[in-house]
Amino acid sequence: MRPIDPRLHQALDGDIPPETLAPALRRDAESLEAAVALLAAAPVAESVERRVMAAVRRPARSAGRRLLRWAIRPHSVVLSMRPVWSLALVAGILLLAVLPSPEDGPQLGAEEGIAQFVGRFPGARSVHVVGSFNDWKPVSIPLEDRDHDGVWQAVAVLPTGTHEYMFVVDGERWVVDPLAGRFVEDGFGRVNSVLIVRPLPR
Amino acid sequence: MDVSEGPSDAEVVARVLSGEGEAFGLLIRRYEPGLLRYATRMLGSRDAAADAVAEGLVRAYRHLASCRDPTRLRTWLYRIVANRCKSHLGRRPTADVSLEDAPPVADPRDNEAMLEQAEEMALVERALMTLSPEKREAFLLKHVEGMSYEEMAAATGERIPTLKMRVHRAREALLEALKEYQ
Repeated sequence: MRPIDPRLHQALDGDIPPETLAPALRRDAESLEAAVALLAAAPVAESVERRVMAAVRRPARSAGRRLLRWAIRPHSVVLSMRPVWSLALVAGILLLAVLPSPEDGPQLGAEEGIAQFVGRFPGARSVHVVGSFNDWKPVSIPLEDRDHDGVWQAVAVLPTGTHEYMFVVDGERWVVDPLAGRFVEDGFGRVNSVLIVRPLPR
Repeated sequence: MDVSEGPSDAEVVARVLSGEGEAFGLLIRRYEPGLLRYATRMLGSRDAAADAVAEGLVRAYRHLASCRDPTRLRTWLYRIVANRCKSHLGRRPTADVSLEDAPPVADPRDNEAMLEQAEEMALVERALMTLSPEKREAFLLKHVEGMSYEEMAAATGERIPTLKMRVHRAREALLEALKEYQ
C-alpha cells in the first residue's frame, strides 16, 4: 500500500481547501468523495423498529425462567474423584435407573410446553432456532446433528401460546421452516413460521 | 415527521426510564437509518446488518440506565452496534456473502445511468470490503457517518491518534483498491 500525499489527508480532514491541491491529488480526493457519497446514499437494510419494539415490550424473564433455561442448555461438567467413589456413583446411577419413576417426563410449569424443531440442512456448520420466544437471538437454541446426516433437531421448553420463528443456518442465513403448519408475514415482505405450544395434559 | 426535531435525546431517555417504554421508538426512528447504513457497510450484508442493529437496540433499551450521558446517546448507540458488528464478523467466515446480498443482476429495462450507478456502487462496496474491519470502521464513522475524531473515540473506545492513523490507512487502501478495480 502506497502512502498518499499528506496534503490529500489535510484536504479530506477539512484542514485545507481542496482547491489548493494539485490536479492529480484533487482527482484522488474527488474519487474518495464520490465513493463516500455512494456509500451514504445507497439503500441499506429495512427498518427493525417493529422487531425491536416487540422484543422490548416483552416482560423480562423471571429468575425461575432463567434458571430453567440454564438447566435445559448443554453444559460441560468435569468430575474428579477417587475410583472408589466413582464406583459408588455408578452403582447409585444404576439403582436410580432401575427404580420406577413416580412420574414420567419433565416437570413443566402450567404455562409451558415442549416444542420439537427438526430441519434438513446438509452441510450446515450450525443451526439455531430463533423466534418471538427468545428475542430473535441467533444463539439461544442450538439444533444438533449428532449422526451427521444433515437432519438437525432440538427440543425446547417454551411458554405456551403462539410463537413466530425461523432457523438461522451458520449464524447468517435465515430460513423459514418448510414443515411448519402455519406461516405469517413479518411485515417486511418475508414470512415467519408459526408454532403453537400447548400445555402438556395433566 | 422529522425525527431530529421534537424532544431531546435526554428527555426521551428520561421518559423511557420512567416507564414510558414506547418512547424508545422515537430514538429508533431517529438513529436507525445511520446505524443500519453503518452496519450494512461494515458487514456487507443487509440481513446481518438488520440483526446487528436489532440486537444492539434491544441491548441499548435494556441498559439504557447505564447511559451516563444521554446527550451523547448517538455515539453510545454506535458503540453498541459496532460491538454487535464485531461479534457478527467474528462468527462468520470471511467472504461469506449470501446470494440475497449479491449485487443485482442487470435488467435490460433499467436505464443506462442506473446501471452505471449500480456498477459503481458494487465496485465501491468491493473496495470497502478489502479493508480490515478496524480500518473500515474508522473510515465509515469518519466519512459516511460524519463523526468527529472525539465522537469516534467515544463510539469505538480507541484513542484519537489510533483512529486518525486508521482513517489515513483506510483512505490509502481504498484509493488503491478503487484504482485497481476501475
